Amino acid sequence: MWGLGPGILAAIGSFLCLNYFFLPPYFTFNIARPQDLLALIIFLVIAIVISQLLGQDKQSIASAQAREREATQLYEVSTALTGLLDEAAIAQILAKKICEAFVGDEIELWVDGIPGSTTHICAGEPRLASTRPDLVFPLATARGPLGTMHLWRKGKPFTESEKRLLSTFTGQGALALERAQLVENESRSRAIEESDRLKSALLSSVSHELRTPLATIKASISSLRSETSDLGEEPRRELLAAIEEETDHLNQLVGNLLDMSRIETGSLDPQRKWNALREIATGVVERMRQVLQRHRINLDIPPDFPLLPMDYVLIEQVFSNLLSNSAKYAPPGTEITIRVRLHPDQTALVQVINQGPPVAEENLERIFDKFYRVTAAEKITGTGLGLSICKGIVEAHGGQIWAENAPGQFIFNFTLPLTWHGSLPQIPTEV
Amino acid sequence: MEPHILVIDDEPQILRALRTILTAKQFQVTVASRGEEGLALAAAQLPDLVVLDLSLPDMDGVEVCERLREWTQVPIIILSVRDGERDKVRALDKGADDYLTKPFGIEELLARIRVALKHSAQAQSQVTPQLLVPAGPLTIDLSRHIVTRDGEEVKLTATEFKLLVYLATHSDRVLTHQAILKAVWGSEDMDHTEYLRVYVGQLRKKLEANSDQPRYLLTEPGVGYRLLSDS
Repeated sequence: MWGLGPGILAAIGSFLCLNYFFLPPYFTFNIARPQDLLALIIFLVIAIVISQLLGQDKQSIASAQAREREATQLYEVSTALTGLLDEAAIAQILAKKICEAFVGDEIELWVDGIPGSTTHICAGEPRLASTRPDLVFPLATARGPLGTMHLWRKGKPFTESEKRLLSTFTGQGALALERAQLVENESRSRAIEESDRLKSALLSSVSHELRTPLATIKASISSLRSETSDLGEEPRRELLAAIEEETDHLNQLVGNLLDMSRIETGSLDPQRKWNALREIATGVVERMRQVLQRHRINLDIPPDFPLLPMDYVLIEQVFSNLLSNSAKYAPPGTEITIRVRLHPDQTALVQVINQGPPVAEENLERIFDKFYRVTAAEKITGTGLGLSICKGIVEAHGGQIWAENAPGQFIFNFTLPLTWHGSLPQIPTEV
Repeated sequence: MEPHILVIDDEPQILRALRTILTAKQFQVTVASRGEEGLALAAAQLPDLVVLDLSLPDMDGVEVCERLREWTQVPIIILSVRDGERDKVRALDKGADDYLTKPFGIEELLARIRVALKHSAQAQSQVTPQLLVPAGPLTIDLSRHIVTRDGEEVKLTATEFKLLVYLATHSDRVLTHQAILKAVWGSEDMDHTEYLRVYVGQLRKKLEANSDQPRYLLTEPGVGYRLLSDS
């Protein structure tokens, strides 16, 4: 209870009490002496003034508290929006914070122009949004409009201070949206830059890699065709073998490039069927006998290992790339092991283990990057695409791939899911 | 008389190479660079074998295959570039007998041509199909339902035998997963390649010396299986 009315009332009441109890003649409202009358009037004025001052003080405390509440809410909004880069999430947080500020009110709001944003209802039934909104705030920054916020409230209209609060909220929201868009634009332009860099790396790698076999083929053929040179039978056979090997090499290169571009554009679409890892692995080893002739191959695959949903040709490609990588880096005469086990997390774990040199821990992930090479490019042939293709294929199958160093060994690991759409293969029983 | 081979491919260099090589190997060769042209040439003079590229400028090779199959059983060998498993399967299901992936070795092509010509000659001369299919140490007796390995009988389950019979009656030809599943398990089970994996695995264990390096029951990656016979 404070303000002008109660203040004057209290002042008059205490004035009358003073007069009645303490001024002679006692217990009457009469006043005998004129100076008492003056004192009473001064008392009344002071009481009124003090009550006024107190009232104003209280009012300013209340408005200070209201401002503090607003400031807290604003602080909460801006903290909640910090670091958010998803536009729909920003709209969601904004809506949630407005609901918290107007707790108990039936408010509906909708942020327009943001991908994936929906109507948000603080309390009550969803029925207001079909009518005209009570308030519309543009979500705009200096860079232009980013969206609009529509608000409905049941019962009472928004007051001026509430509008002010909402406008500050939407201001914060607009800033967050702008930040999100800036970050997205930046990462997009960085991706374009990266892809340009990759393209030129690809071109230089490809032209180098294509020309090397072409040089061999050209030299061999022109020598074979030359009428002046008189080659023996053995050199002729050598040259012809070189031509065939180099054409195979070229074919593999082109295949790698195709696979890579398919992975890059996301059009790698595994034709999953139930397949046996053992069948794929043994087939690859058989086919790659030439490449693997200087290494001992050890297959450690349980014969009764479950069938997995895989694209036969793509997984064959993974094995072939991992094996040819192993054959390239592991010293001749050492053993390369293909080991398959059930992983505790209900996937199949495939390991290709060679006795090659370790790779520095910080580079273990990078070897699956395009064009990344541990050793100088001149020493080892290849496009630097093999392992990144493996990664693309394994990930398209829902698996993971990684490499690790072990004492005396270098291990490629990859996992593949055991189930397909949540189910295992159905094997018919013999009737 | 020299066997007549029709080559349909739009790559002039491939045509040039195939014409030179096949002529040198005592075949009579006709070439076409478009699908319609190839179909017209085949209708004018039926070749003994067709070598067909899948990517032609005027029509899909699979369509050429389909249109040839409307009126002739001439053996068709598909040439296709790598990574076209789906196209290969489609062509095989539309009646092609075999396929080769570009780039291919000429020995491989000649071997496939010889097998296809032999089978078509047998199909024309014999009314009853061959009842004994030899494959290395294996002999598959289709009439008596007996399989022997080095003269000793191998016990097979009913399904294993049914599968083997289907592969043997179409020996040396690439059979797609779908075709095998339909023939052995019926059309409802055509998507269950897992059946095939399991039963082919079992057959290999019983019939092959080393089931990890099969020499007769061969996998055609991403496409199907083939039983390599001695015929």
